Amino acid sequence: MKVLATYNIKGGVGKTSTAVNLAYLAAREGRRTLLWDLDPQAAATYLFRVRARVKGGSHALVGRKRPIEAALKATDFDNLDLLPADFSYRNMDLDLDDTKRRTRRLGQLLDSVADDYDVVFLDCPPSISLVSENVMHASDTLLVPLIPATLSLRTLDQLTRFVADSQGSRPEIVAFFSMADRRKRLHRDVIDAIPRDGTRVAETVIPALSIIEQMAERRAPVPAFAPTSRAALCYEQLWAEVRPT
Amino acid sequence: MTSATRTLQAASDPRLGFGLGLELEAIVAALSTQYTVVTGPKQFVRRARLDTFDRRLREAGLTLEHQIVATGERLVLRGPGGASPVAVPVTGLHWPALAEVLPTGPVREAIAPVTGIRALTVASDERRRVRLLELHNEDGKTVVRVELDEPVSAAAAPAQVTVRALRGYDDQARRAGRLLDNLGFHGVEQGEDREPSSAAPTAGLDRAAPANLLLTRALSQFLATMRENLPGLLDDVDTEFLHDFRVAVRRTRATLKLARPALPEVMRSRWEPAFKGLGDTTTPVRDLDVYELDLPTMRGWLVAADPADLEPLATHLRRRRAVERRTLVRRLRSVSFERLVTRWEEELARLVDTPEADQEFQSAGQLADRSISRAYRRVAREGALIGADSPAGDLHRLRKRCKELRYALEVFAPLIDSAARRRAVADLKGLQDVLGRFQDSEVQRQALRGFAEEMMAAGTPAGAMLAMGELIGHLDAEQDRARREFDVAFARFARPSSLQMMHRLGGRR
Repeated sequence: MKVLATYNIKGGVGKTSTAVNLAYLAAREGRRTLLWDLDPQAAATYLFRVRARVKGGSHALVGRKRPIEAALKATDFDNLDLLPADFSYRNMDLDLDDTKRRTRRLGQLLDSVADDYDVVFLDCPPSISLVSENVMHASDTLLVPLIPATLSLRTLDQLTRFVADSQGSRPEIVAFFSMADRRKRLHRDVIDAIPRDGTRVAETVIPALSIIEQMAERRAPVPAFAPTSRAALCYEQLWAEVRPT
Repeated sequence: MTSATRTLQAASDPRLGFGLGLELEAIVAALSTQYTVVTGPKQFVRRARLDTFDRRLREAGLTLEHQIVATGERLVLRGPGGASPVAVPVTGLHWPALAEVLPTGPVREAIAPVTGIRALTVASDERRRVRLLELHNEDGKTVVRVELDEPVSAAAAPAQVTVRALRGYDDQARRAGRLLDNLGFHGVEQGEDREPSSAAPTAGLDRAAPANLLLTRALSQFLATMRENLPGLLDDVDTEFLHDFRVAVRRTRATLKLARPALPEVMRSRWEPAFKGLGDTTTPVRDLDVYELDLPTMRGWLVAADPADLEPLATHLRRRRAVERRTLVRRLRSVSFERLVTRWEEELARLVDTPEADQEFQSAGQLADRSISRAYRRVAREGALIGADSPAGDLHRLRKRCKELRYALEVFAPLIDSAARRRAVADLKGLQDVLGRFQDSEVQRQALRGFAEEMMAAGTPAGAMLAMGELIGHLDAEQDRARREFDVAFARFARPSSLQMMHRLGGRR
């Protein structure tokens, strides 16, 4: 089982769109896929039309009072299950803090479904917190969407240092540009200028397209409702770059 | 997820099932009281359910379907417990085939360890008209899938409705099922396909049953196994067809031998040699199968040589096998083989009415006691004579005696104490394992020498010869190890408590 997390300290950069679309593509090619919506805002859960409710909430899940399997929901797509968000996830840091191995608990929870899934996506809330630390330890790959702006590069730098300083196994960081607008000179400049000798930066750039925004209206992944759209092709390219072997 | 998946059929209500079809409107109307029903288009689906000949997938609780629709093909794997089905797009798959032809991924990972060396074959194959109904809740989320499934021809399985639960929505599937129950549908068990015969041939018989009845049943069962495995053997579906065919022949031979006093003379004079000849016919291909199957393990034995050095041996084995298989297939397709089977069938039909040759063994119980006791005595006697200088042939003969005892314990299983039988088989198995390793090493070593000579004459590079030399060295060491373990294994088999148990199984109190 490979774990990929879409993560950025900043919000509104395309984490959820990426997690939803890549999870759909992984499932479409026959991989048993799970998406865990860790963000209490529950956007991924909403996109899959699942109710944002986990019985017992974060406390029961993190405290292992209820098995993770009991909270899983099938999506409308073959091979793709969802572990929905719950508003109580806003307190997940506190629940994690009460556990013995507080920075490893999410990884331990995922171990219990390791035989059921080939790929797990973690859609993370925008913050640096105990949840983030757990995500670092549980993930094999950290997918970091960046809006092409100078401050985004600074954020990537902070994140890279944070991961480098963390103890134990560290995920591979793969950054990629998201919500890019080639008409804007700043976007073009940042994309061209990003140093490619340090952190891995994917070749694929996800453009700012209205069809991606339509996901919220259609409540489905882009490749499901617009399979030949440019956005769908971009997500397919990105998946081809980051797909676990 | 599978816990709430149900297959339903229409009862006698003509509104629901007319002829081959299902009444869509009535079904949708019933489900629409609770759900928004999205009706998919009707499409033709060819469904081939795949399994090994001995139904390993079904035993493991797995269902694998190769579905072909106008838009493409896919494999759908359903497992036990709550896991969701896995669907994988595929192209160009043809059956029978080993699991290694499946695309890399979850389906192959789940299937390959279960099927092992057995090929996937089509267990059932139907063309159906299928329409999918998706039941949505108020959020527009699909919470249940209902599949209306109608046969294309009247001879196929009747129309049915399958309510498929989605993970996390089992309660909704039960609810949808109840709506269909109210409409007059009733649950049905999934139909079973034809199975290879595996039940104990003598099940249901008691000790007082006539010995001839028991023997007829056992021998008929072995014949049925030969017949069942013959098509797969002739088509070379996988190596186990030949293996199982040979086991049935060996069991026939052992039964004929053990039951001589209860059988007419013709069995000894005519049928024992006939089945020996049949067994011998199959030996060369089986031996070559064993090499091919063992080759990956043998590659791991190499220390100095490169595994690639064994490629000429692999090629040589394949060529030899192709030649030997042609001979085998020709013999098994011959008129004389067909005649042998027909006449054996006639012989078995006569046997059930033939009075026992020896009145002492009229009952199945008496025959069981005598056969087990005699087979055991032979193992004990020949085993005790094995010494440090005994030639390999003596151990080979002892191995055959062990097999005879094992078959006797199997054939007469319903007539003897089951716990004692299990213990006896466990003791015997330990001895058989050691003797098997000893004899296999001996045969493989000799054969490798023969292959090496043939390959040298054909100009095979020295690297292959050196690698084969390493294999011979490994087999030599393995044979030595097995020989050293023999004394302990035999002592365990022949220990007083084991002796006592065998005497009990053999009717001595």
